[in-house]
Amino acid sequence: MKQRIQAKDLINVGIFTAIMFVVCMGVAMLGYIPIFIPLLSVLVPLVGGIPFMLFLTKVKKFGMVTIMSILIGILIGLMGMGVWVIVIAPVSGILADFIFKSGGYASAKKSILGYGVFSIWVIGNFIPIVVTRDNYFDMLISGYGREYAETLMRYIPDWSLIPLLAACFISGLLGAILGRALLKKHFERAGIV
Amino acid sequence: MKSTSKSSKTVLDPRTKMLLAVTIASVLIGGGSGGIMNIIRPALVLVPLLLFCISGKWKSAAIYAAAYLCAFAGELFLVPVTTGFMNFMIVACCGMFARFMPGIAMGSYLVNTTTVSEFMAAMERMHLPQKLSIPLSVMFRFFPTVGEEYGAIGDAMRMRGIRFGGGKPGKMLEYRMVPLMVSCVKIGEELSASALTRGLGAPIHRTNICKIGIRPYDLAAMLLCVVSIIFLLIDKFSVI
Amino acid sequence: MINLKDIQFFYTGASEASGLKQINLHIKRGETVLLCGESGCGKTTLTRLINGLIPHFYEGTLTGEVMICGKRISDTPLYDLAKTVGSVFQNPRSQFFNVDTTSELAFGCENLGMNEEEVLSRIDRTAEALSLNPLLGRSIFELSGGEKQKIACGSVGTLGPDIIVLDEPTSNLDILGINDLKSIISKWKIQGKTILIAEHRLYFMQGLADRVLYMKNGEIREEYTGVQFYEKPSSFFRERGLRISALAKLGKKKVCPVPEQKVLTVENLEFSYSKAKKLIDIPRVELPEAGIIAIIGHNGAGKTTFVRSLCGLLKKDKSILKYNESTLKARKRLDSCYMVMQDVNHQLFTESVLDEVLLSMKKEDRENAEKILDSLELLAFKDHHPMALSGGQKQRVAVAQALASGRDIIVFDEPTSGLDLRHMEKVAECIRQLRQQGKTVFIVTHDPELILSCCTHILHIKKGRAEGSYLLNEAGKKRMMDFFCL
Repeated sequence: MKQRIQAKDLINVGIFTAIMFVVCMGVAMLGYIPIFIPLLSVLVPLVGGIPFMLFLTKVKKFGMVTIMSILIGILIGLMGMGVWVIVIAPVSGILADFIFKSGGYASAKKSILGYGVFSIWVIGNFIPIVVTRDNYFDMLISGYGREYAETLMRYIPDWSLIPLLAACFISGLLGAILGRALLKKHFERAGIV
Repeated sequence: MKSTSKSSKTVLDPRTKMLLAVTIASVLIGGGSGGIMNIIRPALVLVPLLLFCISGKWKSAAIYAAAYLCAFAGELFLVPVTTGFMNFMIVACCGMFARFMPGIAMGSYLVNTTTVSEFMAAMERMHLPQKLSIPLSVMFRFFPTVGEEYGAIGDAMRMRGIRFGGGKPGKMLEYRMVPLMVSCVKIGEELSASALTRGLGAPIHRTNICKIGIRPYDLAAMLLCVVSIIFLLIDKFSVI
Repeated sequence: MINLKDIQFFYTGASEASGLKQINLHIKRGETVLLCGESGCGKTTLTRLINGLIPHFYEGTLTGEVMICGKRISDTPLYDLAKTVGSVFQNPRSQFFNVDTTSELAFGCENLGMNEEEVLSRIDRTAEALSLNPLLGRSIFELSGGEKQKIACGSVGTLGPDIIVLDEPTSNLDILGINDLKSIISKWKIQGKTILIAEHRLYFMQGLADRVLYMKNGEIREEYTGVQFYEKPSSFFRERGLRISALAKLGKKKVCPVPEQKVLTVENLEFSYSKAKKLIDIPRVELPEAGIIAIIGHNGAGKTTFVRSLCGLLKKDKSILKYNESTLKARKRLDSCYMVMQDVNHQLFTESVLDEVLLSMKKEDRENAEKILDSLELLAFKDHHPMALSGGQKQRVAVAQALASGRDIIVFDEPTSGLDLRHMEKVAECIRQLRQQGKTVFIVTHDPELILSCCTHILHIKKGRAEGSYLLNEAGKKRMMDFFCL
C-alpha cells in the first residue's frame, strides 16, 4: 500500500461521492415528512451501502475513503444541514479507512464493519435537531407556557441520539451486506468490478 | 450545476456563496431567538430570496417565498388551535421547514449559479489541496449525469410497467440501482480517460481563466456572515 | 514519430481474444492512418497504447515497447503526454469535464499550469482555426452531438499536440456532424499533425487517409495506401466485414417495396418545453401499419421527441395514435409500444436473460419465454447476466422484453451506432423478423446502410415538422440518399 493516490483515484472518489450523494438525497426526500426523519438513520446507510461497496472494489489506497467522507461533509454542510456533519463525517471516514486498511481493502468482514463505522456520518444531520431543540422550545415556552412545551419535549428526549447512532451503525452493517450481495449477484457478473 | 459563463448574472464570488450557505444554515438551525436574533434571522432568511431575484430566478424565488410563508403561517395559526400529537407534528414540520429551508435554498443557489470552472478557481484561491479539489469538481460535474441516467432508467421502467417493482416491491431498489451503477461506472471511466489524457492531475499549480474575485457586494455579504456568526456565538455563551 | 515494437497486450481479467498480438508499427510525422476491422479486432486497444491510457489507466499485461517522439510511453506519466498526444473519444456526452464550452477548451491548458494570457490566446487561435467561434460560451447541454464532438476536438487542439488519436469519433454523429469532423481532420492534416483514427464508418476518410490498416483478432493483417484501399470493389469490404467505402455505392443496393395498405395515424402531436419554440408540431401523419419505418432528420429535428411521444413517455402529451382500429392516448401507449433505447443498459434490470423476459410477461410462462429467446438466438445465454452480453445481444434482450410483453409497436433508437457490418446486418435481420411477426417497427437512425437493408418507409422530420413521409421504392431511395449525401 505504498502507492500514492493518483489522479485516477481522485476522479473515482469524485464519481462515487456524486453517486452516493444523489442516492442518499433521493432517500432523504422522505425527510420532508417529519415522522420519517428518524427512519432516515436506517434508510440512508442501507441504500448507500450499494454504491459504497462498489466504490470499495476500486479502493486500494489509504485516504480515498477519508476524502470521500470529507467531501460528503462539505457538501451536506453547504446544502444547509449545519456544521456538525462537516466535523463528524471526516472522523467516521478516517476511522473506517483504518478498518478497511487493516483488512487490506479486501477482507469481507472488515469492509462490512468499516461501512458500519462510515455510516455514522449520518448522525451529523440529527445532532442539530436534537441539540438545538431547546432554543426552539424556549420560544414555545414564551408563547404557550412551560407545561405545554415540556410535553412536546418528551417526544424528543435527550437520549434519542443514542438509538439513532446505533441505528446508523447497524443499518450500515446491513447496507454493506446488501451491497456485497448485489455486488456478487450483479456487478461481478456484469464485469464492471 | 450551472452551465454557461457568458450569460452569468451572478454577482457573488463562489467563496462568498459558500460562506453564506454555511452561515445561514448554522445560524438558523443552531441559533436561538429573541434579542438581536430577531433581526438577524429574518435578514438571513431574506438573503436567498434576494439572490434568486437578482439573478432572475423568479420561479425559485416564488417557490422559496411560498414555502417559507406556509411554514411561518402554520406556526402562527395552526399551532395554537391543535393539540397532542397533531400539534407536535405541525410544530416539528413547520419548525424544521422554517429552519432548514433557507440553508437548502442557499445551497441550491450556490450549485445552480456556479460553473464547474468557477468552483475550481475558488478552490484554488482557497489553496485547497488537489486531493480535495479534483474529486470535488468531478463530483459537481457528475451530478447532472447521474440525474440524466436516473431519468432514462425511470423511462425504461415506465415502459415495462415495473416502476414499483413489477409485483415484487422488494426488487424496486435493485432494479433502479443496478442499471444506474453500471452506466455511471461506464461513463465515469470514459470521463476519467478523457480528463487524464488532457493532463488532469499534473503535479503543477493549476491555472484558471475564470475571473472570480472579491467585490463590494461580496464584502457586504461577508460582513453580514461575520456579524451573524459573532452574535450566534455571543448568544450561545450567554446561554451557558 | 510513433514506433511500436513487438507489442503484446491483454486486459486484466479479460479473455485473450480481446488483446493485441505481435504488433509492429511505425508511423511517420504528418501521416494520417486509418485503423479498420470488425468490432473487437483491437483497434481501440491500439489507440490506447498510443495515448498512454495503456498502461497508465487500463490495467493489463504489456510486453514490447511503445515510443512516441522519443519518449517511452510506459515511463511517461499521462500529464506529460498531454502536450504531445491529444485524444478524441467515441461518446461526446462523457468526455466533457466542464459544462460550458469555453472552460472546456481551456481545461487542458489550465491543468498544465499555463498562464491566463497564454490560455486565452490559445483558445482564440484554436477557435479560429477550427471555426468554433459560434460555439464559445455555450452550455454543453445545448449542443448537438456533432457540436460536442467539435468542442472535444477543440479542447484537444488548444494543447497543440503533434499527434492526434481519434477512437470511433463518428459513432454518435449525424451526417452534418460527420462533415464537420471531416473538415476538422483535414485542417489538422494541413497543419501537419500525425493522425491515427479507428473507425467503422469509412467513407468520410476517403482522400484523407494516407494509410489504412486492417486489423483482425488483435493483429494488423493487411496494409494499404489510402488510394489503393478506396479503389477496392464492394466485395473486398463485404468479405472483411467492413462498412461501405462510399455512400454513392449504396445506390446500387436493391430495395423491395411492399404495397402499403393499412395505415396508422399519429394526430395532434405538439410538444415544447417553453412557449417560444415548439420542439415538435405534427398535426397528422399517416404511416403503414405493416411497415418498417425509418425516422430520419438532423440532430435536434425532433426525432427523439417523436418516438418518445409514440411510446407514451412524454409528459402532458395530447397526441392520439390510431392503430389497428383502436384509438390510443399517450397513457395507453405505454402498454402497446416499446422502445429499444440507444443505451440499452438502461433497460436491463435482472440477473439473467431469462428473468428479463419473465419480468416482462404479465403471467410468467417459462416455455413461451424460452421460445422467444430461441427466436432471437439468445437461448444459449438464458442464464447469463444481461449486462455481461455484447451490445448486439443486449439489444436483442430488449427486443425479447418487448415480445414477451406482447407489444405491437417496437421502436429502435439508433440501433447501429458504432456497429460493424456483420452486427449491423444482424440488427437488420432481427428487425425484418419482427415485421414478419406482424409488428410495426420504427427506427430512428443516421445509418443509410441500415435503412436500405430493412426499411420499407421513410418519415423525414425537419425542425419539428413532418417534412416527408414516403415509400422506400426506387424514387424514395433517391430522395433518401439526397438527404444523406446533402
